[in-house]
Amino acid sequence: MDSTIYQKKTPLFAFLTPAFLFMGVFLYYPFFMNIYNSFCNIEGLGTAASGMNAPWYLNYAKLFQDPLMATAVKNTLLLMLLTIVFQVGIALALALLVDSIGAGTQFFRTVYFFPIVISATALGLLFNLIFLYDGGMVNQLLLKFGAAEPVDWKDEAHFFFTMSAPVMWQYVGFYFVIIATGLNNISPELYEAAEIDGAGRWQRVRYLSLPLLHNVLCTCLILAITGALKIFDLPWVMMGDGMPLNQSWLTGTYMYNQTFTSGDVDYGSTVAIVIVVLGVVISQAANAVFKEKDY
Amino acid sequence: MKIRKAAAFALALALCGAMLGCKGPQQTQTPASSAAEAPSAASSEAPKPAEITVVTSYGGDDGNRANYEAAVKDYEAATGNTVKDASSTSDEEWKAKVMADFETGAEPDVLFYFNGVDSNKIVQAGKVVSVDEIRAKYPDYASNMKDELLGASPVDGKNYSIPVNGYWEGLFVNKKVLSDSGVQVPGKDYTWDQFLQDCEKIKGKGYTPIACSLQQIPHYWFEFTIFNHDTIEAHAKLPASSSDEEGKAWVAGLNDIKTLYGKGYFPKNTLTATDAETFQMMADNKAAFAIDGSWKVGWFQENAKSIDDFTVTYVPAAGQRKATDIIGGISMGYYITKKAWDDPAKQEACVKFVEAMTTDEVVSKFGAVSVTALKNGATPPSGADSLTLAAIEMAKGQTGIAPAAQDNLGQQARTALFADIKNIVTGKKTAAQVVDACLAVKG
Repeated sequence: MDSTIYQKKTPLFAFLTPAFLFMGVFLYYPFFMNIYNSFCNIEGLGTAASGMNAPWYLNYAKLFQDPLMATAVKNTLLLMLLTIVFQVGIALALALLVDSIGAGTQFFRTVYFFPIVISATALGLLFNLIFLYDGGMVNQLLLKFGAAEPVDWKDEAHFFFTMSAPVMWQYVGFYFVIIATGLNNISPELYEAAEIDGAGRWQRVRYLSLPLLHNVLCTCLILAITGALKIFDLPWVMMGDGMPLNQSWLTGTYMYNQTFTSGDVDYGSTVAIVIVVLGVVISQAANAVFKEKDY
Repeated sequence: MKIRKAAAFALALALCGAMLGCKGPQQTQTPASSAAEAPSAASSEAPKPAEITVVTSYGGDDGNRANYEAAVKDYEAATGNTVKDASSTSDEEWKAKVMADFETGAEPDVLFYFNGVDSNKIVQAGKVVSVDEIRAKYPDYASNMKDELLGASPVDGKNYSIPVNGYWEGLFVNKKVLSDSGVQVPGKDYTWDQFLQDCEKIKGKGYTPIACSLQQIPHYWFEFTIFNHDTIEAHAKLPASSSDEEGKAWVAGLNDIKTLYGKGYFPKNTLTATDAETFQMMADNKAAFAIDGSWKVGWFQENAKSIDDFTVTYVPAAGQRKATDIIGGISMGYYITKKAWDDPAKQEACVKFVEAMTTDEVVSKFGAVSVTALKNGATPPSGADSLTLAAIEMAKGQTGIAPAAQDNLGQQARTALFADIKNIVTGKKTAAQVVDACLAVKG
């Protein structure tokens, strides 16, 4: 069939132009300005730069001497590790269980996916109430079961759990749905053949489901790793200003704090560059490690 | 095919147009240059109704939003002018937006904004008109106000803004908790030593003596603890280092907060709680004292089970300071921008607007409990509750007002200082280290 639509590309370019302009104006221009700003001296949000920093790499030198930046990077990497283990791990376990029961898959998909549709800010407020020191749900239960006094869930001993548990909980459903869909795509005949060959339930999971889910799991892991670098809203609502004692900073929350709260716009821009560099390096590494296979 | 191609281009153009059309309301204003070209022949005739753009902090859920809207409506009805209101809630983001508007030439005609260091840039750039210049043409401008209380600019000591109402900071007291603890409500001669003894009694009864989040809002305790180590004159001065006179007062004050923390007078979770959480302890009759500003009276009226369980009084004193010496002042006011002043079509409308928003009646509505610059003083509302009356009484009984020391600090330095108070009380940093670090911050 002779179709001219594949020969004349002009209309396609016409359709691509608005999106290209949009990306240029609202993404790439700010991105390059951000790099430039990181070398300037900007003393307040909305204020023009008063010149270049002296020396021009001042903010980059500061990055390596700033203990709060080190805390932010460490926490972000730790959160990334937890994301891999708990978000994808729990999602995989739940998907395998739901796949085994056969009936009710749709019900569980909806139930587990539901936290995704709630805004992170609302979830943050919800978990703030759950972990509230004075009258929070968890502390009320603890007092009811004989605890002498309430626990400060945001203190130095508990803050990381309090911050990361809601983040894990929020996204388990997302990966659950992806993995459950992957499991659905595996032909039942393979399982039947394995069963006839005498494979038990665990062996079917180990030697059929997991290998056939390899590509799906790779996608989930890459999404989880890159997603962990962008986590901001829920920790910001729950642990604003790095509480307790500047220990809960993540790269995203620290960048926001420096730019909008402290008004150190040029240093905030430098932290943003670190986030981009970390994102590119780690996602490339993840892509290299979790290579998809052709079947 | 031609139709398809034409349709494609039309759609693409429409999308580009829609994108370029995404401009903020401020950017659609008449540019200063074209506005300035407005016909000046009209000056000999009756002034035509003008449209003026006004930016204030009476936006969002501000307690005075309704009063502001009513005052604007009255102005529009009386003059025939139209107000294009672009008000918002005051926070650091709003301040940044206001500054960005001035930088890009998109400033409003009238601005209600801070008169301290926050406005230095617009004063230095000549973007706002001084009260003296306005009075040269309109002699009765702000004639109902005391000039010395208008809030002169730190840049040149001249007045640029006309305030509505100021603020004070005082000690809010839960009378029920005090009564249960066998402690008297503090009076005019309340000392720091008495306060410490009272806190011990209150703590002994199982209550929290001080409702304060050192994580979020240590500001008020910082002001008064350093005030107890300096004078009204010295309080307004920024130290050069932790070792000069003002710096020593800051260090001593911060160490007093550390002492209070060490004695266990703050809530157990003061290092992780929000201000809202700690203030809730006051409403729940779990805490005895809290320092806050005049604006907090409304919070108690909304949240207290019985408003009569609360009062406001003077913060305990030490050193040369009398308890009746308070922190307060007038930190915001109405500015007329140079752009509007130079526009014959808008000049009079702006002057009339500021006059209408700062009459004795309007100012009294906005905050009778506050510090005011009115020559006649504000009129107390009829049927006022006991807390409001106590607030008016406290403001009247003051023997001296010092401006907040933190207002002398730039945003970065202020944020760094308050973020480090929790490190001082936990012994991770010394007060002297924190003061020197904050004074070294740029901006």
